[in-house]
Amino acid sequence: MAETAAVAAAEMTVEMVKASQLGMKALGAGIAVGLTGIGTGLAEMAIGSAAVGATAENKDVFGLVLLLTVIPETIVIFGLVVGLLLLF
Amino acid sequence: MFSPEGMTRVLIAATKSQMEPVIRELYRQNLFHIEEFVEKDSKEYEGYRIGTPLPAANETSRELIRLRGITSAFALSEGEGVSPGRREKVARLKEVIAKELPLLEKDIENLLGKKARLDTLIREYEQKIETLRPFQGVPFDLGLLRGFQMFSVFSGYVSRNLALDVPHEIFSVDTKRGTFIILIVHQKDRSAAEGALMDAQFVAVPVPDEEGVPATRIGYYEGQILAIRGEMEEINRNLSEMKARHGPLFLACHELLSADVEMAEAPLRFATTGESFVVEGWVPTAQLERLKEGIHYATGGKVFVYECEPAEVTDVPPTEYRNPGFAKPTEMLMDVYSRPRYTELDPTLLVSIIFPIFFGIILGDVGYGAVLLAMSLGLRRFLKGEEAGRLLAILRNASISSIIFGILFSEVFGFSLPWPPVLFSRHLNIGGHAGGHGPDVTGLMIMAVWIGILQITLGRVLGMVNHARQDHGSHRVKAVLANLGWIMVLWGILLMIWAAFSMPFMPDLSGLPPVVMGLNLSSLAGLAMIIVGVVFIALDSPLEIVELPTIMSHVLSYARLVGVGLSSVAIAMVVNFIAIGLIIEPQLESLNAVGVVLIIIGGVVLVIGHLLNTILGMLGGGLQSLRLQYVEFFTKFYKGGGKKYTPFGMRKRFTED
Repeated sequence: MAETAAVAAAEMTVEMVKASQLGMKALGAGIAVGLTGIGTGLAEMAIGSAAVGATAENKDVFGLVLLLTVIPETIVIFGLVVGLLLLF
Repeated sequence: MFSPEGMTRVLIAATKSQMEPVIRELYRQNLFHIEEFVEKDSKEYEGYRIGTPLPAANETSRELIRLRGITSAFALSEGEGVSPGRREKVARLKEVIAKELPLLEKDIENLLGKKARLDTLIREYEQKIETLRPFQGVPFDLGLLRGFQMFSVFSGYVSRNLALDVPHEIFSVDTKRGTFIILIVHQKDRSAAEGALMDAQFVAVPVPDEEGVPATRIGYYEGQILAIRGEMEEINRNLSEMKARHGPLFLACHELLSADVEMAEAPLRFATTGESFVVEGWVPTAQLERLKEGIHYATGGKVFVYECEPAEVTDVPPTEYRNPGFAKPTEMLMDVYSRPRYTELDPTLLVSIIFPIFFGIILGDVGYGAVLLAMSLGLRRFLKGEEAGRLLAILRNASISSIIFGILFSEVFGFSLPWPPVLFSRHLNIGGHAGGHGPDVTGLMIMAVWIGILQITLGRVLGMVNHARQDHGSHRVKAVLANLGWIMVLWGILLMIWAAFSMPFMPDLSGLPPVVMGLNLSSLAGLAMIIVGVVFIALDSPLEIVELPTIMSHVLSYARLVGVGLSSVAIAMVVNFIAIGLIIEPQLESLNAVGVVLIIIGGVVLVIGHLLNTILGMLGGGLQSLRLQYVEFFTKFYKGGGKKYTPFGMRKRFTED
């Protein structure tokens, strides 16, 4: 009696571990995208406001400042890549 | 194709008597990019001086300023409402400017003046109505409230009950703002009344300087305003009639006068002596003969035109793009970054091919592609202007590529087409669509990395060409080698990775037998390439060594092609699942009145969701693939900073000779 209960419990545990691993992966992916997103946001915040100011003074620099503004975007892309590789 | 239009430096010299014909001819041809003459700024200098404008300049610019006054009052501009279909003869226009234009100007000025006067009158009357408004309920003549010696009159609002124990006459009426009162007390009770009024929180309103019952006066003024408005409408009608009738004529006159002023002021860019002048500038080499012939013909051969040898010229020529038709719109994207220098490779053609491909990889969806294609074709009717046209052409190319990749990815609005994906699958397991294979993220990622490796290598190769073309001496060799070094480090790292891991869609070199210290041939070759490459880079500039990690980050940056694309697919599938799987489908099983409403709501969710995703996809796809060109590709070889080729002259739209 006790033996079968223990076996059942052990089987349950394996499944639970699998499920929780899946959950952990999803969590990890979420954290990767979320935190890198915040990082990109923080970086673009300062660049973006400076870029708008610079464009207001001289429209010719628009291309250059657009470029500077999107440079930190790479950070969140890395997060997205990590997230995707974790999930699939 | 990869280099801009060839330019030749031309020097034109003649006596001052030939100045006007030369200017006219240059302006007509619209080919000659004038290099402005700069006078040396020292007292002893006795060489050339800047020229003085042609005699007609003053009169013409005065005329132009008057005309600008009218066009701005009419808010006339090219494009809106006025099509440059009919062209005016210059000779007739001159007559018009001399005779008709002053009269028309006077008419318009009169009308505008009258309009301004009526405007002030309306404002004045409105002001009067405003001061009368509090007295609206007063049923007696306002003249009765003025001119007393024995009595004091108070008028205004009180917000509390007024308690007054001196003899008085009071009129009160309740309004939204409080109780409006008119209080009359004997002069000797004035201070007592003031005290009581203050307790009642009295806000004084002065009695307006009017005779008669207020309501009647208000009616009178309102009638006046109505009449004036009618008059104004009449004037506006007159003005818009004039705009419709004479608009094209005004624009033609404007064009003619602007051209005249520009021509008259051209000598300010020339170098002159007492009797002669010299002007230098650039002409596209292909058009050189035309220019020379034209000037010869216009002046009867009295002008000296000299082609400078390239060795004699130190200035950098202006840049004019030379691209096949389909790459022309992309020049706009280049100008946003920076126009190529004359000596530099012009990557417009490459960008015009690569940009749509990247856009397609990111937004590979037949549905969204078709929507954007329809938009780019449809908006052409409403958006006039060169810039807008170019932008729409870029969007059109990008959306066509998007449709092609949509077919390859087998995607339409997040659903799959009847065939399996030809390229890697991007279908996610979302909601009701679960059960497929899921996206082939590894394959997609490796595809993106390959694209990155190839484009970065191409960029470095172009960098070698650029340095070989532009630099001189030992720096030239070093710069070329440094670019080669970057390529070697990149491919060396790849060789070492291939030797260590076996990956899909990449050469598998891990099976090679080890040669020394457990490293196989591939790793050794990679290591050697990295070392040599780093030496090459350091020879040119040791500081560049700290930039080495960018090799990895730039290649991995191409993963955005997959990342942004997958997120767009995910949004589309989620929208489909919410709208169809969660809202519409359950209702279809047992249809009733509430169900129909819910189905409509589901439809709205579906449309709004996909609309949002289309906009996101356009912005994401456009910006991300543009950024890959600007940051990852251009930084390898492109400097930019070329001068724009702006020939002296004008494209005539409203006039003809």
